[in-house]
Amino acid sequence: MVKSYVEYTFKNSLPPNATVLLAAPTLPIQAEGGIPGNKGIWAGILSEMTEFALLFGVYFIARAHFPQAFKEGPLRLSLFAGTFNTVLMISGSYFVANAVLAIRQNRPRASVRWLILVLIAACGYLLTKYFEFRWNVGQGITGKTGIFFTVYYYLTFTHMVHVLWGIMGLLWVIARTRMGAYTPAEHEGMEAFASYWHATDLIWLVIFPLLYLLR
Amino acid sequence: MKAMTHKRTIGLLWLLLVALTLGGAFLGETAAPGLAVTVIVSLTMAFKGRMVIDHFMELKTANRTIRSLMRAYFYVVPLVTVLVYLFGDRLARLTTL
Repeated sequence: MVKSYVEYTFKNSLPPNATVLLAAPTLPIQAEGGIPGNKGIWAGILSEMTEFALLFGVYFIARAHFPQAFKEGPLRLSLFAGTFNTVLMISGSYFVANAVLAIRQNRPRASVRWLILVLIAACGYLLTKYFEFRWNVGQGITGKTGIFFTVYYYLTFTHMVHVLWGIMGLLWVIARTRMGAYTPAEHEGMEAFASYWHATDLIWLVIFPLLYLLR
Repeated sequence: MKAMTHKRTIGLLWLLLVALTLGGAFLGETAAPGLAVTVIVSLTMAFKGRMVIDHFMELKTANRTIRSLMRAYFYVVPLVTVLVYLFGDRLARLTTL
């Protein structure tokens, strides 16, 4: 009520050409109705989401059939490793969003610095996964330990493969940014990579609670 | 000015998402499993997904079809998580060959 009164008063106190001035694009964020990156990357992202939807389907069916195994399983995993990797994935997503913002402000050097932070987060994720899998083996946990662990390895390995694809794309985008290939007007390739990286983060945001938290 | 606003939004969201992750880990470690924990964890999953989709991916203002598909994912998966907790036995019967 108060807001609409303020809006009404504000609009009626403006000169006739004010609408045009207000509508002028000043935001360095996604254009209304636009596609972040390009259509090709979204075909890939939606395929990735579908692939994981099927794997989550397997998880849910396995959970329904073996509730006890899924109650006990998370207790044997390293919650620290899962939590740390979640923080790294979220941070990588935040860093890449900043890299895109920097290029839109025509600051390629700052953009490269943000992208290197993404690379550090991604390598941190892989290193944590390595120690986590090693720790698992030390605890006698392998893919054959039980249904929960089969699903755990299937989901986390598949996710890790997507992170590896992402790292290859990231190295390419870092090189292109350093070469000055992206401008505030044209940085489709960087946006496409950013969208892919966010999607990989999103998948982990499902995997983490399903495997490490829910019992 | 508005660019700063978006930068600030994603900065605050980053901190919030990290805090929710640490809170979730604490909950998973300390709380006794049950419906309440399952609902809280599922709602957190839905919220985190929505924030990444809307603000990090910038889909809030982008293409409607892509936005709807991505947002739907984070309605369906958390909902199924709760439904499987409640009706797991029925799902098991339905999927028994």
